[in-house]
Amino acid sequence: MAPERSLEGWTPVIGVEATLEDVVDLAFDYRGDVTVVRTDGTVLTGYVYNRDRHAPEPYLQLFTPDGGAHRLRYADVAGIRFTGKDTAAGKSYEAWRRRRADGDGGPVS
Amino acid sequence: MAVPFSQMWTVATYVLRQRLRGRRRYPLVLMLEPLFRCNLACAGCGKIQYPGHILKRHLTVEQCLAAVEECGAPMVSIPGGEPLMYPDIGRLVEELVRRRKYVYLCTNALLLEEKLAAGIFRPSRYFSFSVHLDGLGPEHDEAVCRQGVFEVAVAAIRQALDRGFRVTTNTTLFEGADPARVRQFFDAMMDLGVEGMMISPGYSYDKAPDQEHFLRRQRAHELFRAILERPRRRWRFNQSPLFLQFLMGKQDFECTPWGNPTYNLFGWQRPCYLLQEGYAATFRELMETTRWEAYGRKSGNPRCRDCMVHCGYEATAVDHTFTSLRGFKEAVVATVTGRL
Repeated sequence: MAPERSLEGWTPVIGVEATLEDVVDLAFDYRGDVTVVRTDGTVLTGYVYNRDRHAPEPYLQLFTPDGGAHRLRYADVAGIRFTGKDTAAGKSYEAWRRRRADGDGGPVS
Repeated sequence: MAVPFSQMWTVATYVLRQRLRGRRRYPLVLMLEPLFRCNLACAGCGKIQYPGHILKRHLTVEQCLAAVEECGAPMVSIPGGEPLMYPDIGRLVEELVRRRKYVYLCTNALLLEEKLAAGIFRPSRYFSFSVHLDGLGPEHDEAVCRQGVFEVAVAAIRQALDRGFRVTTNTTLFEGADPARVRQFFDAMMDLGVEGMMISPGYSYDKAPDQEHFLRRQRAHELFRAILERPRRRWRFNQSPLFLQFLMGKQDFECTPWGNPTYNLFGWQRPCYLLQEGYAATFRELMETTRWEAYGRKSGNPRCRDCMVHCGYEATAVDHTFTSLRGFKEAVVATVTGRL
């Protein structure tokens, strides 16, 4: 089932609200961009499309809006902020049903 | 019989070769997703909800061909996203046909007439348009959340058939489907002249906008029994009759998640076309490092419990057909008599 609330806007405190491994899993499942804060203080914003917490050196992979592809070790990640719009949180089906009930079905253009 | 004999022969010999080589797990259909971008936002689809910069990306033809070679499956299905929005779709199909892969281009057909007029495709026995139609006009337009799509798709199918292309349809059914209307839809598709139809219950994607209308297993059996109990002789299905029997609850199959491996922008998707649990960098890594025992109905995985989708069970039906005398006999009887 769809999550009851979106993670959009959430900045989890690692080690208090969740472990880093769990937050990375949530970021992987999130259908929006996140901002990864590295241990050196730099940030990288993009879409987390893969991760492996069981690898000898756990890592996550993300695509950035400039077309880049990055691989980060969990050891280099200090935190993750759910900064991008959650594209799966929309109510497109309900919106379509409302439009149709209103007599506007969004015809093929 | 809707699947051409040459295609059936290719599949049969491929399956037998795999078994003779002792390969317990082998791919049957590569699900190749060159892009996630789509010109529709269907209620039951969980495939396209991504940030804009991901939707703008696509695989290169070379990446696609490398995946096809690596996988080795005799059939390639190109879903997406909408593959007709892929800028190199003509070249990709041409290259796959040149490699004698049986290609199903899964499209909503909104751009099909335009692409046909542009002449980017050539008819081939290896190439079929698989047009997404979830029922007659009202039902289909409801499913894709836009009015008029059914009419556009039907006009495009006529064009494609007139130009000598193979055309099949693929239909996903949800809770609330009316068996009588579905039967009328099958009649309409046969009148239209499509080669065959594919049907499947929908899968309850976590990310799909509509979470209320997915079929649970028992309900799915009841629905498909009502639809298929007395099939008309003229109906042709582009899928295994044993899979149809499975939908009706007459076969007890287990999922074959490696049967339709999926390759897309992110890599080789674990474990199947529907679940997204991570990505492998190579096909070999996918096959060798995925915990296959954690998936399928018998695993107890709650996300697999109600799944009866063809990308998991069609490969089981095909394997059963060509590797057991009973399965072969059942498939022959169903094909010859038209009874399911």
